[in-house]
Formats: sequence, C-alpha cells, structure tokens
Amino acid sequence: MEMKSPFSFSLLSLALLVVASSCGPAGTTTASEPESGTGGEVKVAPDAPAAPTGEGELKGTLEVQAFKGGYGLDFYEDAAKKFSESHPDLIIKVEGNPRVWEQLKPRLVAGDPPDLMYPGWGMDHWALVADGQLMTLDAALDSPAAGGNGTWRDTFEPALLKLGQQNGRTYVLPYFFNVNGWWYDKSVFDANGWAPPQNYTELLSLCEKIKAKGIAPITYQGKYPYYMMFGMVLPWARSAGGAEVIDRMQRLEPGAWKDPAVLKAAEMIVELRDKGYFETGATAMTHTESQADFVVGKAAMIPCGTWLFSEMKDNLKSTNQLTFFLPPVLGEGKGDPGSVIVSIEPWMIPAKAKNPDAAVAYYKYMTAVGVAKRFVATKGTLTAIKGSDEGSLLPVLQEPSRIFKASGDVWSWQVRDWYKEMHTEVENALTSLLNKELTPEQFVDRCEAAAEKTRYDASIVKHTL
Amino acid sequence: MNGKAARGRFIASFLAPAFALYGIFVLWPLVQAFQISLYQWRGTSDVVRWRGLENYRELATDKVVAEAVGNNLYMLGVGGLLIFALALLFSHAVLANSRLSRAFESIALFPQVASTVVVALLWQFMFHPQFGPIPLLQKSMGLGEFESGWLATPSVALPAVTVAFVWFATGFYILLFTAGLRQIPGEVNEAATLDGCQGWRRFASVTWPLLWSIRRTAVTYLVITVMNTFALVYLMTKGAPDRRTEVMLTYLYELAFTNSEWGSASALAVVNFLLVMALAFGVRLLFRRDPTAART
Repeated sequence: MEMKSPFSFSLLSLALLVVASSCGPAGTTTASEPESGTGGEVKVAPDAPAAPTGEGELKGTLEVQAFKGGYGLDFYEDAAKKFSESHPDLIIKVEGNPRVWEQLKPRLVAGDPPDLMYPGWGMDHWALVADGQLMTLDAALDSPAAGGNGTWRDTFEPALLKLGQQNGRTYVLPYFFNVNGWWYDKSVFDANGWAPPQNYTELLSLCEKIKAKGIAPITYQGKYPYYMMFGMVLPWARSAGGAEVIDRMQRLEPGAWKDPAVLKAAEMIVELRDKGYFETGATAMTHTESQADFVVGKAAMIPCGTWLFSEMKDNLKSTNQLTFFLPPVLGEGKGDPGSVIVSIEPWMIPAKAKNPDAAVAYYKYMTAVGVAKRFVATKGTLTAIKGSDEGSLLPVLQEPSRIFKASGDVWSWQVRDWYKEMHTEVENALTSLLNKELTPEQFVDRCEAAAEKTRYDASIVKHTL
Repeated sequence: MNGKAARGRFIASFLAPAFALYGIFVLWPLVQAFQISLYQWRGTSDVVRWRGLENYRELATDKVVAEAVGNNLYMLGVGGLLIFALALLFSHAVLANSRLSRAFESIALFPQVASTVVVALLWQFMFHPQFGPIPLLQKSMGLGEFESGWLATPSVALPAVTVAFVWFATGFYILLFTAGLRQIPGEVNEAATLDGCQGWRRFASVTWPLLWSIRRTAVTYLVITVMNTFALVYLMTKGAPDRRTEVMLTYLYELAFTNSEWGSASALAVVNFLLVMALAFGVRLLFRRDPTAART
C-alpha cells in the first residue's frame, strides 16, 4: 500500500510524456508559431499582395526551393546558372529534397519563406491561398514574356493556367503537367494481334481475349485509389453524363454524386471486377508494385498519368513499348470521347518573398519556349508552355501530346486538392466498392454524404470552378 | 529559521533545472496543444481563427474517431490478452534456467530493439499476398486465401496488425514477468510444494497473486503503448482498407498533415491524452488492492 504515492507520480509523468510525444507534430510546430494578438477575435487572411512584373533591375539573392521528385533538381539549377549569366548582380540558390514541404511549412509560419517555390505534393497550396501566404500573379502574367512577343500569360496553355486560379486571380503556375489515361505495351499487343480499345464495349471483348491468354487484363494502384478515380470513375462519369456532371460534383451541388452517370461509372468498375478482368490482389498493391506487374507483362493495361515512364525507367526492358491511350469511355456516352483529364504541379511565390522581382524574372526565363523545350526533351514530360512539345519528343510522349492537342475538352479534378478530407472519404469508399463491401448505389450515397458534409462545413474554404 | 530558508534554497536550486526542463518540454507543449485545439489553424501561416469547442464537437460526431478508438481498444483487449498469455508462458520457460532458456531470454527483446520500420516491413512481407509465409502456409493447409492478402482484406486487416504488434511488444513483458517471478521468494514456492500445491493450482493461488505489482505496471504500460500506437500501423497499412486499421494517432496525423486541420488534430491529441489518463486511472482502481495484503 505504501507504493501508492510514488506509483501514481510515475504514472502521471509517464502519461504526460507519452502525450507530449503523441502530440509531437502540434507541439513542435507551434513552438515557432507567433500566436500573439489572436486573443479570440476572428482574424481574416490579409489581402494577398501582387507579385511584381520581373522587369526591374535584378540584384541580391534569389532563393528557389523545389520538390526533388522523379525529374530531379538539375534542370532548375542549370537554368539558374544560365539565367544568372545575364544578371551578374543576382545570386541564385536552388535547393530542394524529396520532402521539401516539411522544411517549408515552418518557414512559412515563421514568415521567412523562399522567393520562389515548388513545394511538392505534401503542401496544401490552397491552404496557403486561404491564409494569404501567396502573391497573386496576374500583374506579372500581363507583363511581357521573357524575350518573346506577347504577354507572359499567352505563353501558357490556358486550360492549365486556369488550374491555379481562384475568383479570377492567379496564385500558382504550372510548369510540367500530367495527362492521365491508360497504358498498354505495344509490343505485347502487336504480338497478340490486339488493338487498344476505343470504347468500353471494345474493352470488354478485349479483356476476355487477354484473360484467355492467362494475362490479367487490367491492374491498378489499389493502395492509392485516386489513380482509379482519375483513370476510370471520373472519365466514365463524364462520358456517361457529360462535362456538367463533373462540374456539379466539383461545385459540391446537392445530388451531384447521385447522378445516374456516376452510378454508371461505379457499375462499370463492378462489372470489370466481377468478370475477373482486374489483376488478383491489385487492391493491396502500391503504385510501383502494380506498375511493375504491368511492365513485366503480368497485366496488359493500367491507368496512370504521363509520369509512368520516368517512374518505371529503371525497370524497363528494351522490348517494352509503353503506349498511352485515353480511358475507353462509353461508345454512346454524352461526354466528348476525346476528353482529357490533366493535373499540374504548381510553382508559387510566397507573399513574404524578399526578392519577388527576381523570382518572376527567373520563372519567366524557365517558361521561355526554348528552355521549356529543353525540359521536355531531357525530362520526358510535357510542359504547360505552348509549343514546348514541338521539338524532339520521346516516343512515349507522342501519343499524350497528340491527344492533348487534339482534345476539345481538357479538364481537371480539383476536388482532390480543394477538399482533402472529402477526397479521402471518396477514395475509401472506392476501396470498399472494390472489396464488395459497398454496392454501386451505396458507393454514390457515401460520396454524396461526404460532399454534403463538406458543403455544410463553414471552416472549409469553398472553391469555384 | 534562517538556516531553514537557506536549506530550502539549496534544495530548490537542485530541483529547479528538472522542473524547468519538465515545464518547457512537457507541460508547455501540452498547454499549447490544448490552446491550438480551440482554434482553426492550417499550419501554413500564423493565421488562426477562434473556434471554441467546435473542434471537439466535430470529433464527437466523427465516425472515423469512433472507429479509430474502437480499433485501439481492440488492439488493447485482444493484443493485450495475447501478450500477457505469451509473456507469462515464456517467462516461466525462461526460469527453467537451462542454456536454451538463457539464450531465449536474451533474444526475446530483439523485436523491441529493432526499429519499428524494420518490424513493419517484416510483417508486410509476412502477410504479402504473393510470397508472404503466412498466406503460403494458409494455402498449403487448405485454409483458402485472401486475394488481396491479409493487410488489404477488411475482415482480417486489424487482427493481422494486432499480431504484428503482439510480436513486437511481447519481449518487454517477458522481461517484466521474468523479473516478477524471480522476486517471488523461494520459500513460498517450497511451502506450496510441501502442501501439495503444484502446476496450475500453484500458479493460480500463489504465483498470480504475488505478481500483483508487476501486473499493475504491465497493464498500465500496455494501455499507454497501445493507445499511442502510431508508427507500426502507419507504416504497415496507413489505416487501410477503408479505416479498418485506423487508430487515433494515424487519424491525428491525417488531420494535421493531409487535411491541414491542426486545430482538430490538437483536439484529438487532447482527447487521446484524457482517454489514456482515464484508462490508466481505471487500471489503478482495478489493481487498487494488493490481493496478498488482503489475506492477512
């Protein structure tokens, strides 16, 4: 019994310690959070300052922080070197790593951000916009482009520029972009006398033939269900009901997910599943596992964006001929059959950048068509700069480039960036649909409920298309 | 009088650094977490908005929180029973004092010494649908198979993660119970033997009651460990499939880092803290009385 008091003290301190470590993320970041002057009153995000035009004399230091993904940093470093040749008074520092957003967040909170940043997928850039942390870029976009004719705005593909805009203002800019669709291996298809399916009916009959050969017709990145959202659910819903269906979903309109077109898309997924056209166990696979199965020929087709090639470069054999095609949509659908779903990875200038003039000027240089062409040629991806695909294109990019240019309906699914909580719920519902835990009707009900919750949550900033 | 004050100052000067460190690194972050939980903060600027108890109200109706707490409690109940059963069994084996048992005692802690990352990778491999030993064994025994493997099959994902947790944690409890068993005086066991009390009977009437203080420590520690599980689950499943393995802290991570809702995440941290405290207090109540003391 005498043990009681020392024990309770050690228990208390243990519990405290554990919680201190459990709320580590909150605890550590708040240490640098200047929370003064926020005693209860509502503090509205200050109006975002506008970036300068980059026309002034450039001097001082320009700090660029970039996400180091599959395309590395070398291109940006090289561009910085070439750019500074004509600006001797400017020192450019290009830095980055694969988790650069982790260093950028505390710097943004502390008010000490870099001048230009490409923070990568771990940064919620719409949260930055909501907090007034980014400069608006419209004045800069309306100023002359680097060395060329016309305004800077004219150098970008308008459909891609639009993805960085909100309420008529531009906050983030695209550089390279991704075209989402499906892939097949031309050498495998040619050897078997198969052709990529032009529509869903052709897909079904092709899958039957592929299955008969003992190959899984379709595989997918089951651990990350957004691939299937971008490659199947959304294109099929748009095909069945037209662009308006997707627009209504993105506007969080009541009943948008309950549209028969969305249900149709879910039923198509279930049909493929029940006919055994998906690779066994794909719901458990990471992107690299399923893509590796596709590359070695265990599966014949896979939905993926144009980054597939650079991501799988090291696994490819000389016989692989990865070829892009559009998701096989409904032959008799209301949507444009040439419709293309794209996504961008944005660059931005923080509101508290110390040298925004240099940031604009450097980024203008990067988007000069000659520089962008070099990016396309060396990195094997398309950029948002008009004409940048008119040079030498890797074979793997020829189809995406042709399809993108020919498309009369380029669109993007921004719900994933705008409403993260809702999108996680939608992805989880898709997993459960694949696991036969939800019927297509229950799937759309759950998505509708998630949209409704988002719609009524006043703390979530709403976006307009 | 003067001497007493000097003595007080002398003692205080020794205690001050400990209190200062504890205050700065333990109490202050806790207070801050509570403070943030009353605001909306996106974690990307110094802009905050007062929300009062709104974050807590949302958590109360959030189905994911309910599911995560349920999963934590499942791991505590099922995992805890397994850990205790295994630890008791193995600690008796260790006492056998043979060369084998000594070797076992030294390797029992290996899982806990290994990095959680290694443990998570190892068990991902163990359950891998294509080449994992467990699915292969299951198939060879004619027990069918889970197409997507254990970790992606809704009905068995949480049991699978619990197994990994048990494997990881048991070593520490073996150590604890072995120490406890060694503490039981030899004469007590001898007396029991002379009275003809052996085997299960001796375990139930002598060993188990005498392990009281060890049990109390073990259960308390287990509650804290399970309710604060993060890395193992996050690395093995990230809460998939469809939240079946979500635990409180993986959801906290999602709220903060994916959804940029640091206020809600902090509120969940506070709820987690209070829940752990409540459970630990419950354990104290449960083990309030020393069963051996009661008999005298």
